[in-house]
Amino acid sequence: MAQPRISAYLPPDIDPTKAALAFGRRALPKLNEELRSAELLTQQRALMALCDLVHDPEKVYQAIEIGFLGSLKALLGHPDNTVRQKTTEALYLMSMHSVGRQGLIENGVISALTGLLDDPVDICRKNTHQIFDMMAKLPEGAAGVLQAGLIPPLVLKLQTELEEILELILDTLSNCLRMQVSEALATGAVAALKEKLTHPSAAIRGKAAQVLLEISSHPEGKLPVCEEEVIPVLVSLLEDKDPAVQASATGALMFALVTPQGRSSAMAAEAIPPLLKLVAEETSKARLNAIKALTLLAELPEGRETLLDHTDTFQECLDDPREVVIRAAQSAIRAIEWKP
Amino acid sequence: MLPARPPELTVAPALPYSYSSQPRSLLARPKYRAPPDAAEPEKQRVCYGNIMRDPRVARGYALAVRLPPQSTQPHPPEVQKQKGAQKRALVRKHPKEPIRPGTPEPVEGREHVYVQTELYLEEICDHVLEVDGECQTDEFLDRPPTPLFIPAKTGKDIATQIEEGELFDFDIEVKPILEVLIGKTVEQALLEVMEEEELAQLRAHQRAFIELRNAEFAELQRLEEQDRRIREEKERRRLEHLEKLRKQKETTEKIAARAFAKRYLADLIPSVFSNLYDSGFFYDPIERDIETKFLPWLMSEVEETLQKKVLGRTMLDSLIRTVVEKRLDAFSCQPLPDQTEAPAKELRPTDAAPQVSGETDAADQLVTGKEETDQPVAEEQPSDPISSQPEELDQAGTQDLETE
Repeated sequence: MAQPRISAYLPPDIDPTKAALAFGRRALPKLNEELRSAELLTQQRALMALCDLVHDPEKVYQAIEIGFLGSLKALLGHPDNTVRQKTTEALYLMSMHSVGRQGLIENGVISALTGLLDDPVDICRKNTHQIFDMMAKLPEGAAGVLQAGLIPPLVLKLQTELEEILELILDTLSNCLRMQVSEALATGAVAALKEKLTHPSAAIRGKAAQVLLEISSHPEGKLPVCEEEVIPVLVSLLEDKDPAVQASATGALMFALVTPQGRSSAMAAEAIPPLLKLVAEETSKARLNAIKALTLLAELPEGRETLLDHTDTFQECLDDPREVVIRAAQSAIRAIEWKP
Repeated sequence: MLPARPPELTVAPALPYSYSSQPRSLLARPKYRAPPDAAEPEKQRVCYGNIMRDPRVARGYALAVRLPPQSTQPHPPEVQKQKGAQKRALVRKHPKEPIRPGTPEPVEGREHVYVQTELYLEEICDHVLEVDGECQTDEFLDRPPTPLFIPAKTGKDIATQIEEGELFDFDIEVKPILEVLIGKTVEQALLEVMEEEELAQLRAHQRAFIELRNAEFAELQRLEEQDRRIREEKERRRLEHLEKLRKQKETTEKIAARAFAKRYLADLIPSVFSNLYDSGFFYDPIERDIETKFLPWLMSEVEETLQKKVLGRTMLDSLIRTVVEKRLDAFSCQPLPDQTEAPAKELRPTDAAPQVSGETDAADQLVTGKEETDQPVAEEQPSDPISSQPEELDQAGTQDLETE
């Protein structure tokens, strides 16, 4: 019989694939018990319901308090594909919230996810990498990823994975390598990234250049970058059409040019003209990085004489609205006009 | 006011008032039940006995005259039996009064017949016809499902007609509902969009920060590199300078040392030479030769000669001694006069030796001469000249030594 009262719940049996939710606070504990049941259908239905609930941060908090992560961790190794896919999706939705991220770090979910890197199902892998990506955005999360020893497998995956997942891996790597770079260098990350710099997709090129930027910001990372002759490739990327790629490539060069070998190889690759072009563009994201790179090159005598002719480009930069750019331009001019 | 009762119903107070049931006091029942563990010395009154056997319950013909029970105690069965017998006797003794007839006797020639006057005739007979009938359901048949019970329609059908515009205006009424629906949806959507925008803003902020950080970091590294180069350069120059100073110092020291040494050694050579000269390093070869070779040889020859002389003298001494001893022996027969001669004879060879030595001149000529001269003498008297020779040699040697 139709009632004039509007119910807070959806009409019953709207979706047979989802488990029925208990009222109020009892919903999540009941789902937890259903997750632990032995029957496959119950588990799947509970997971579907969970994925819907986890969009709400309060539910995420409650779920973590109850101890959902233990049952989810246990389900990660389930033989059924749907179960694994939904589990990883639920974990990904949890990691979108800050509470969820904290909970994931505390319960050591990252190390439990390492087994899923080789999962045959694509969606599971994609969700797993999305989780790593979200976690790596936090400093503690990045530390957790490093501690779980995930860098070598991720670097190895660079060669074999699909494109979308590759973007996620590159993002994760760029956040993690900001902290520590030794493991990645040991697994030959620089060579793998050099290949990706010539990938047809612009996003991958940009992200690969970003990872190289992070690697070369560490002192021990600069040497392999110079040795493996990445600099000529980066110089060629300076003329790429995508501005993000240009910005990342310039940034990577900026760090790599600190070493003397880097500078000499950059001069050999004739990096100055493209860099000057980037500096001249007013709205380029790469402007700041290009100015810095040219400052570094100006410390070489050959660089200085070439750049003495182009000081007017730097003078134009002094009108940029960003203060950082102004300062960078001033230091560049100082470096160019320095006499020993 | 009470309704007046018909006079025949009122009973004249012929008898004094009497009770139909004698009043009695209630049994002194204890207020509380005795405790359950108390013994039962007395039989307790049966409160709820069998109603069929309860004496208080009137039994039998309803219109019978009944006397109230005399005592409240339950009577034993014998007493009851007696009472029953008494009653029966009474009944037999006093036959019933004839029942007043209701209907008059029938007229002659007529009979009274009983007739039923109810609506439906009833057959009165002793034996009621009874017929047994039974029915039984079939075995093993399932009970069929109960048919849907639709109660018969009761009540009257009434219809109403709703005119246009009487009930409600849909457009007006639906507004709040729609507002709520759409409002909620839009609000939810806006929230989500805001969240996404916030996230995008945060990301953009993060990216800007990262860019800034990278730029600053690069600057830092560049300056570090510069600093390192400059420091290295400085270090190198400093080391060079130190090296230069050190070399300079060394050179000055060397010069000073050289000058000092030169001066020190300036008179070294003369002193060296003088020392050497003094210690005999510079020598006249002939003189040296004479000194080293000739003179030792000379000395050895002289020594030899002198030794020969000494030998000769010793021989002479021994000869003289033997001679003297023989003479002493020979003269021991004449001991007294010979005793004085013995010491005189002993004195004689010693005197003779210096006298003989006094005659010698230069050592060479004497030695050679003496040898020549002494040799033929030695054949005759080998002992004497031989003894004299060593003595002469000896003396000559000593004289030579003195001259030297």
